[in-house]
Amino acid sequence: MKARWLDILFLGALLFVLVLLPLLVNNYWLRIATGALMWAGLACSWNMLGGYAGYINFGHSAFFGLGAYVTALMMVDPLGLPFAATIPAGIAVTAACAVIIGAPTLRLRGAYFAIATWAFAEVLIQFATVMEFTGGIGGLSLPPFLNERFFYFAMLMAAALTYLVTWALFEHSRFGLKVKALRDHEPAAEAMGINTSLVKLQTFVLSAVTASVFGAIFAYWVTFINPKSVFGGDITDQMVVMVLLGGLGTLWGPAIGGVALFVVNRLIWMYWGDTAFYIAILGAAIVLVVLFLPNGIAGLFAKRGRGSVSVLGKAVEKLVGAGEGDRK
Amino acid sequence: MALTYRSFSRRRFLGGSAVAVTAGALGMPFVHTARAQAATFKAGVITSLSGENILGGNLTKRGYDLWADTVNEKGGVEVAGERFKVEMFYGDDQSNPATGADAAERLIVQNEVDVLFGPYTSGSTIAVQPICQKYQVPMISGSAESPNVWKAKPEFNFGIIPSVDTTSGLSLGVLAKLSNPAAKTVAVIGVNEPFSKETGEGFRDGVEAAGLELVAYELVPPEGDLTPVISKIAALNPDVVAVGGHEEPLINVVKTSKSLNFRPKALIMHYGVTNPAFAEALGADADGTTGVAVWLPTVPYKDDVFGTAQEFTAMAQKKSGVEPDYTEAGCAASGLVLGDALKRLGKKPALTPEDRVALKDAIAETDIQTFYGPIKFEKEGNHYHDNIQPVPVLIQIQGGKTVAVGPKEAAAAPFTYPLPAWK
Amino acid sequence: MDLFLQTLLNGLLIGGVIATFTIAFQLTFGVLHVIDFAVGGWVVLGGYLGYYIVAGLGLDGFVAIPVAFVLFGAIGYLIGPILYNVRNSRTARPELMALALTFGLFTLLRGGMLTAWGFNTRTVATALSGESLMVGPVTVPLIRVAAALFAVMIAGGLFVFLYRTRYGLAIRATAENRHNAALMGVNIRRLSANVYGLYAGITAMAGVLMGAIYSVNPESGLRYTLFAFFVAVLAGLGSVGGAVVAALLLGVVEAYVATYVGSSYSLLAIFATLFLVLLISPRGILRRGL
Repeated sequence: MKARWLDILFLGALLFVLVLLPLLVNNYWLRIATGALMWAGLACSWNMLGGYAGYINFGHSAFFGLGAYVTALMMVDPLGLPFAATIPAGIAVTAACAVIIGAPTLRLRGAYFAIATWAFAEVLIQFATVMEFTGGIGGLSLPPFLNERFFYFAMLMAAALTYLVTWALFEHSRFGLKVKALRDHEPAAEAMGINTSLVKLQTFVLSAVTASVFGAIFAYWVTFINPKSVFGGDITDQMVVMVLLGGLGTLWGPAIGGVALFVVNRLIWMYWGDTAFYIAILGAAIVLVVLFLPNGIAGLFAKRGRGSVSVLGKAVEKLVGAGEGDRK
Repeated sequence: MALTYRSFSRRRFLGGSAVAVTAGALGMPFVHTARAQAATFKAGVITSLSGENILGGNLTKRGYDLWADTVNEKGGVEVAGERFKVEMFYGDDQSNPATGADAAERLIVQNEVDVLFGPYTSGSTIAVQPICQKYQVPMISGSAESPNVWKAKPEFNFGIIPSVDTTSGLSLGVLAKLSNPAAKTVAVIGVNEPFSKETGEGFRDGVEAAGLELVAYELVPPEGDLTPVISKIAALNPDVVAVGGHEEPLINVVKTSKSLNFRPKALIMHYGVTNPAFAEALGADADGTTGVAVWLPTVPYKDDVFGTAQEFTAMAQKKSGVEPDYTEAGCAASGLVLGDALKRLGKKPALTPEDRVALKDAIAETDIQTFYGPIKFEKEGNHYHDNIQPVPVLIQIQGGKTVAVGPKEAAAAPFTYPLPAWK
Repeated sequence: MDLFLQTLLNGLLIGGVIATFTIAFQLTFGVLHVIDFAVGGWVVLGGYLGYYIVAGLGLDGFVAIPVAFVLFGAIGYLIGPILYNVRNSRTARPELMALALTFGLFTLLRGGMLTAWGFNTRTVATALSGESLMVGPVTVPLIRVAAALFAVMIAGGLFVFLYRTRYGLAIRATAENRHNAALMGVNIRRLSANVYGLYAGITAMAGVLMGAIYSVNPESGLRYTLFAFFVAVLAGLGSVGGAVVAALLLGVVEAYVATYVGSSYSLLAIFATLFLVLLISPRGILRRGL
């Protein structure tokens, strides 16, 4: 019980620091912190499906972009609606889209699911590029709102809510147990009477909706979006790498991975940013982490013996495991 | 698995907070250190040093640096009888508008720059503009050519190169006049990416005014294969093919046309042709390709920093080994605009926030002659704060060299038309 | 009608070009069970090698093809065991870690190339570049035909190698079930290194051809990775024969949509096709392995 109490104390201290951060640092670092919170939240949203349910989504940027585009389209002329009104709309559109896409796609397994979702994201990039109402490749400019603190607190709220929901739903509920059961052995979970199709779809929609909220805030924050800047595959790649580095299927892994990778990227970019060499450094860093920290950064802190190894292992078999399973 | 929530342990948590605290701590020391050294003007350069627009990004950097180096060799920018050196800071936008905005915020807040030099791409420029507005820091863009940048009426941003819609359409008219026998039909290919698409639209919209007939207008995705579209256009057999694109698709257009043995009477492209890398990559196949430039090393302009356009060219060539194109020239000219505005402003570094606003006003009043040509910014309309003074020159690659072929008064060599068959 | 035939040829040749860098990718997946993000990196490296051999030594670009195979085959052979170790480590998620490793490798290659070779777009000059033949009403671009022939040769060569040699049998056995293969005395670690080397070499050879057909710069790798992934999944992961079929299918779709619907829709059509095919046939169009 003592450990539990300490946890709460640390959580409180962390929140306290985060809330006071705008008073402690200048606008540039606040901007970096805003970005770090966004990536921590996005990584967590990817982890809901990828880590807890074991379905690797390579097209998660589709939902980030949907949120961004819904907000942008509603805020520019002719609608010109306030930002707050666009969030529920973005959630509704993304949820509807996630149901329509998720229902057939979640029948796929492993790499096939991964690439199908990637294809879906590419379809959206092309759609936004070809259509006129999305502004085509020229993108959309939102009315600028130049208050760094507003965006910091918006991201902070969204990220805190994301982690709270993840903690409650995936770590402390029957729903979470169902999700993990289907990850560990889908046919067995089915046999236990779990409606796996429904549980997968619910997780998929939750994960998509979360990403869309971050997309909405992002669009308003950066004031300019185009198809590649919000649907681009590099956005998904970053989320995946962040979760892997942090620790797949853990609550805090995505936060650690997201913050660490984003901040390290920005630091390297600041100090060696006048050449492209920092890209090579970033690549080398990823390689080194894979080779020497294979359980992610969170793995460093996992207690031995009861580590997450056996639990998480199954998730990954989903990536290519379907094929393997057949042959065994 | 049911026990996973127990792994919400103190140590894990410490890990998370440690990262956050480190991030914060790393930030602190940098907060108020920038202004310690001797007085210099600080300029921030935002451009694409990685990502898909690296080529243009490096061209812009080269241009801005050339001005800074040249002016520093002379002791610096002259203000009220004293000279102050210029210190350059760089931010890579990774060819991504959001990173461009991060870079702007960093250069302004961390490095406390007095002025920004704008990105290569229009997308980044559009994302950076609100940041300039927020901090009231002026920006001079030596490269952005998309009309979308100026439609937003950016108060703090100024463009050196005329927006592409004012140049690409006109150039078709020049080409039509020079062609003999007269060209009649045009097919336009626009690569579906920022700038390239607008260039294609400029060509498309200029066809009628040029007295020509549009037989095809095709938008192609930058990752797509060009054989289908070239075959389709070849079947229509137009006299002129006009292409809006960056260097890579332009190279692929020429290679694909040749491999399908399709040679229009004229092939006009907007940007990449003026870049030496284009002719270098294609060798003899580049010959005959026509382009549009708002500046050439042979233009008859001069100023007292770089001297004549030829002297500027020699200087740039000595530094980088390649002949400068109009983007590099435009970026170097951005520095001249800054130097002139600072001189008129008469304020020594470091500039106060009020000085920066005054600097913006001083830039807006620019009316100078440079090696690049006349520079004066529009005060209203769709090209607000853009310099649309330069007149586009039609150029053609002949024997591996870029030469002016039109309009008649600017021509240095006759226009090769129709193009000979592929070798 | 002429345009229809030309479009068919264009489509088939685009397919042939895509197939050049997807065939070996499939083999690697089949044996190592790794989705290699770095595939585009090997293509671009091959293209640069071609460029330097032409520009530096004044030789024909085709000379670079065997050189690429030897050079990058050797490098791949050295990387192979690392990948194998990560893929077969006792960590929780070796498949994903292997993917992350190749992503890191890809990023490292991209950054290294940008730093070392700069940002100019390069091309590879060959004897066949820009040459064409008229066959009836149809123009046949010879360099693309060479690429398609290369794809056929690679596919045929691999087929003979896999089905007519003892080592090929060992590779197929490993792809089928690595534990049983190991029990039968196959040194899987060594075999994985060989397969990865073979794959890196073949992909770099394809890269020389890409440099001859299109152009290369350090940033062009991602599009090859994208197409390799998509074709591989459309084919059914691990299916070498399927890769050729799927590449041809995508090429023909791209060509006809670009010519008859509008070029701007060509990629939309490709990705939509892939998505729909996966929904209808969840394991790709050819559902068998190697």
